[in-house]
Amino acid sequence: MNAVWAVLMACGCAAALFAGGGDALTQAATEAVALCVRMAGGFALFSGLMQIVEEAGALSALQRALRGPMKRLFPGVDPDGEAARAMSANLAANMLGLGNAATPMGLRAMELLGRECRGGAATDAMCTFMVLGAAGVQLFPASVVALRAAAGSADPADIVLPTLAATAFSAAVGVGACRALSRLWGD
Amino acid sequence: MGGRVVAAMALLAVLLGVWRRVPVYDAFVRGARAGLRTAASIAPALLAVLPAVAALTASGATDALCALLAPALSALRLPEQAVPLMLLRPLSGAGALGMLEQVFSACGPDSRAGRVASVAAGANETLLYVLALYMGASGARRSRYAVPAALLAWAAACLAAGFVCP
Repeated sequence: MNAVWAVLMACGCAAALFAGGGDALTQAATEAVALCVRMAGGFALFSGLMQIVEEAGALSALQRALRGPMKRLFPGVDPDGEAARAMSANLAANMLGLGNAATPMGLRAMELLGRECRGGAATDAMCTFMVLGAAGVQLFPASVVALRAAAGSADPADIVLPTLAATAFSAAVGVGACRALSRLWGD
Repeated sequence: MGGRVVAAMALLAVLLGVWRRVPVYDAFVRGARAGLRTAASIAPALLAVLPAVAALTASGATDALCALLAPALSALRLPEQAVPLMLLRPLSGAGALGMLEQVFSACGPDSRAGRVASVAAGANETLLYVLALYMGASGARRSRYAVPAALLAWAAACLAAGFVCP
């Protein structure tokens, strides 16, 4: 990200220097803060609602529902073990959009899985888990909906179902790629 | 349809909370506080990305790049305005939100480009951050095929975004 930003900023400023348009820099900075303020309300609303859902026990219910798929996704991992519990807690929290709760669980799961890896190479379970985390399966993209509302969309939430379809497809491709590559890759 | 999804979700959340005897008001306030904190925490990253992108856009550099890529993109049914966001999404979540706002102000949130960009932003996660963090916690040194598989999942999400938005 540091390299990308350096290239973006250097090219942008160089172009502004020659073609004019340095005003755009300060205008955009003002706009960035205004944007945060405009979307903060909607985002906080969804966070508040999600907190109610979480405290009503949605997390553990989702975790139970994930038990079956987990066995298929991670055949080498004991489904009742601590690693599997941390993994399903992470996936459930990610699905509900609870990033702050998901990350520590994901790190814990990776730590536990890491104990079984030989010679410093990630196991199949670790790779699949990382790819699922990187694919970001989320049931309700709160920040996108809040931003759409702030931009004056007629129906901010109408991208929820298409997004769900796209993210499910992406996760399926990720898992499929893991299966195919684990045979080809070796250590 | 306008706003029904949000209203239904809110109603469901409150009813579920009351049914399971959650102190709903307290829980909501706790969650909203965390949400406001998150919104505030992405402000510096937006502040970093938006001016850089604005300067590039003002100079016409992005337009030139998009014009170059346009034939390939139309074959994939991807609007060119959504492409910078797709490229940035795996590197920075807040940066991608900044790009999304750019698309909204240029084309409108309900345009096809706006919708495709919304789906691409929501259907992906910050790949770089997740992989770096998880590999660090695991103690493993080689990630084997995790990076190519995650990149395939990212490409799948971007292509799917073009497909699910008519």
